[in-house]
Amino acid sequence: MKLKNLLDSLTDLKVEYLSLREVHTKSLSLSVRNEVFEGLGHNEDHGLMIEVMMNGQLAYGATNSFSPEAVRACALETIEAAIKASKFSLSKFSLEERPKTVGEYKSPGQISFDDFKPKTWSDLLMSLSANMKIHEHVISRSAALLVTEMQTHFVATNGSDIKQTIHRSAIQMSAVASSEKGSQRRSYGDDQSTQFGLDHFNKTHLEAQAKKIAEEALLLLNAEECPTETMDLLLAPDQLYLQIHESIGHPLELDRILGDERNYAGWSFVKPDDFGTLKYGSSLMNVTFDPTVVGQYASYFADDIGNKAKREFLIKDGVLLRGLGSLESQKRLGLPGVASQRATSWNRAPIDRMANVNLEPGNSSLEDMIKSVKRGIFMRTNRSWSIDDYRNKFQFGCEFAQLIEDGKLTKIVKNPNYRGITAPFWNQLKMVGDKSTFEIGGLSNCGKGEPNQVIFVGHASPVCLFSQIEVFGGGK
Amino acid sequence: MNALESSQFQSFAQKILNELKSDEELTLNFSGEKTLFSRFSNAKVRQVTNLEQAGIDFNFIKGNRTLSFSIPFQASELDFSLALKKLNQSREWIVTLPEDPYLVRPQHFGETKEENLPHLPHNDEMISMVLSEASHVDLAGVFSSGDIVRGTSNSKGQSHWFKTRNFYLDYSLYNEKQKAVKSLYAGSTFDSKELKRNIREAEFKLSLMNRESKKVPRGEYRVYLAPSAVSELMGTLSWGGVSMAAHQQGNGSLKDLWQQKKKLSPKFTLEEDFSLGLSPRFNEAGEVSPNRLPLIENGEFKNFLVSSRTANEYKLESNFASDWESMRSPVMHSGDLKRDDVLKELNTGLFISDLHYLNWSDRETARITGMTRYACFWIENGEIVAPILDLRFDESYYSIFGENLERVTDFKELNPSTGSYFQRDVGGSQTPGVLVSNFKFTL
Repeated sequence: MKLKNLLDSLTDLKVEYLSLREVHTKSLSLSVRNEVFEGLGHNEDHGLMIEVMMNGQLAYGATNSFSPEAVRACALETIEAAIKASKFSLSKFSLEERPKTVGEYKSPGQISFDDFKPKTWSDLLMSLSANMKIHEHVISRSAALLVTEMQTHFVATNGSDIKQTIHRSAIQMSAVASSEKGSQRRSYGDDQSTQFGLDHFNKTHLEAQAKKIAEEALLLLNAEECPTETMDLLLAPDQLYLQIHESIGHPLELDRILGDERNYAGWSFVKPDDFGTLKYGSSLMNVTFDPTVVGQYASYFADDIGNKAKREFLIKDGVLLRGLGSLESQKRLGLPGVASQRATSWNRAPIDRMANVNLEPGNSSLEDMIKSVKRGIFMRTNRSWSIDDYRNKFQFGCEFAQLIEDGKLTKIVKNPNYRGITAPFWNQLKMVGDKSTFEIGGLSNCGKGEPNQVIFVGHASPVCLFSQIEVFGGGK
Repeated sequence: MNALESSQFQSFAQKILNELKSDEELTLNFSGEKTLFSRFSNAKVRQVTNLEQAGIDFNFIKGNRTLSFSIPFQASELDFSLALKKLNQSREWIVTLPEDPYLVRPQHFGETKEENLPHLPHNDEMISMVLSEASHVDLAGVFSSGDIVRGTSNSKGQSHWFKTRNFYLDYSLYNEKQKAVKSLYAGSTFDSKELKRNIREAEFKLSLMNRESKKVPRGEYRVYLAPSAVSELMGTLSWGGVSMAAHQQGNGSLKDLWQQKKKLSPKFTLEEDFSLGLSPRFNEAGEVSPNRLPLIENGEFKNFLVSSRTANEYKLESNFASDWESMRSPVMHSGDLKRDDVLKELNTGLFISDLHYLNWSDRETARITGMTRYACFWIENGEIVAPILDLRFDESYYSIFGENLERVTDFKELNPSTGSYFQRDVGGSQTPGVLVSNFKFTL
């Protein structure tokens, strides 16, 4: 039965609001390691989330059975749960938090699962693995293709009707070099998922990248340990994605500020009064929530309660303006937010999330940034991340780094790490790279919520320079 | 719908296995749950979700080629038609794929059926009791209850089934200064008196957090890591720490221990012990792991987890680990430090109840970073002085469980997993507390 008909079949139920969110996901994955094909997976998931409002309380019921009887039984159970929970409601909501929205979204890349040719892609992955085989010390050479199609259809008693079809794809590679001197890993693509199709991949470029990461893993094997000192820190976009994610995205989530996440992901150093006043970073810092970037990983038309998404500044000229929060959180806090109430899939209730959270480009060229540094370090590609539950004290590690001495890139060093505290760190932002240094990425593994949810988010950033940061290496 | 009944899965499995041709092999791996999640903040209900879901992963082999697929399972005719469609798609694709020299063929590892389905009060009753007991405190967390199922079947006739019913209240309490303590009430028998005792105990701990917090400067301190903090550290070992594949491929973090260049403390023993009863012994392929497998014994390497695929690739013996070679039921052995002596033996230093957001800072040297969280105290002369402001640590396993491990408690705590990414977890750990000297805090 079509979703709209299923909704019609429930119109006799006395509810303040009811929505159905059908999610149908297909995914394909292929992987190769050391020129051996490790497997192909083609997976499918399909289910329905019912959301009900009774006495101002929201409750959710999830089922992967679409028979009218099963859906009705689930709806009745959800209504009962909402009524019972309403005796203990944390907050009451109304239809103001459930706007009527009608529309459709399709990602720029369209991938036909029926026409998929595994051999084409296993051949490519084999070739990428072989391109990393440049020395006997490169002991692990992996390449993988990941493709997903997520079709979401949302209908509600307020007349909302939204269809979104999102295709995502990524090619990921890693090379591990190992000898008596230790092991070093370089990777490509872990953070570069997009909504583009398979024709987006360029074989020549990927093969060059495969060779490059193998070469860099070998260079790291023989490199000196990263020094321990306070120095200027230049970060590449593929590290800044995580820095933005952990120290801007999460602390700005309104449900964390409200304390909903205290028991699991944590809350935030940001207080409600900080919006409009907190100097989050230097005046060079401009951060947007932008679900409209074509092809970026977390672009969409509307969030999972049907709130239409649009670009907003979260931080402008270094000042905190707006949080990442749903209409529910906005009502509870009396603060502006964005359309970011999202769920992992049909089996989870939507919560406050990031989508695309991007650091906007500035005016400095990479050359000028390097030239400006007397003594510093340029770090690339995240390999380790950790931050406290208020999102203050962080520590990140990168795969690759090069010292900057007297305005020039010099020695490669291994096991580079840095640590700091969120607001002071962003206030030490000294130069922001221009559009030529700007890159767009995507991460698939943002974890949060009780029950736990993992979701895809997008981040974009130019290369950025920070002054006088604590840097250190590995070893005991 | 009764998709969580073993008869439904078995009947479906037989039907799809009957479709196989003579040169084809298939393993089915079932998982499902019927769960209530109720989310709390300020001891009120934020969100409530009733969930019923099931799905089947298939591993298909033809000749020396393999691929996998999965479908949702709703115990209807639609399951079979979708599975058949996927099987036919797989037949078309598999012949175009390269051979897999390390593929693991299904075997007959026997048949088991284990169901533990105790009576639990109705969900509403349990939630009412929780909120009633916590009505005067700021409680945040999640209550979850219901059935969890894992099952497997294959074309060699093997069949395993594991179904358990349990609940957990995973929560923290907050005082006016927003200092917090963490607690867990979990099990398969819900006892209102035990719930009350659990919450009162957490409240007592919270009262200790009312003192003014102390800012402890970075440096090296003597610490007591409570069982839940040790459990966090053991959990990170599942991230490449005890995996044979990770070590063979240069991503392991206990390489020096494995190569017997280093030892941990003779006081440190770690094993997989399925007698905890929290996790089925069979893995995704239905292979049944040994009931107990020593990993590190008295500080010396004994075994890493070896999946059958890793065994095939590196010509080793499999111990039937999971595909990811992560621990499913880790147990650290206890020592001789009595509960009443913990503060006295710590003397001056830090009492750490929980750790947060751990990650490797340097795998080569087994160095790990993370944060203190919840009820952590500055102790002087065996007395609690003040809660501390959270600290970041960066320290090596070779120090924590090696040269700097002074004492291990004579008691252990059970830590059932409350993870619920994609589906509610099974499994958990059992860990003692440890007294460690010269523990490094960096921020």
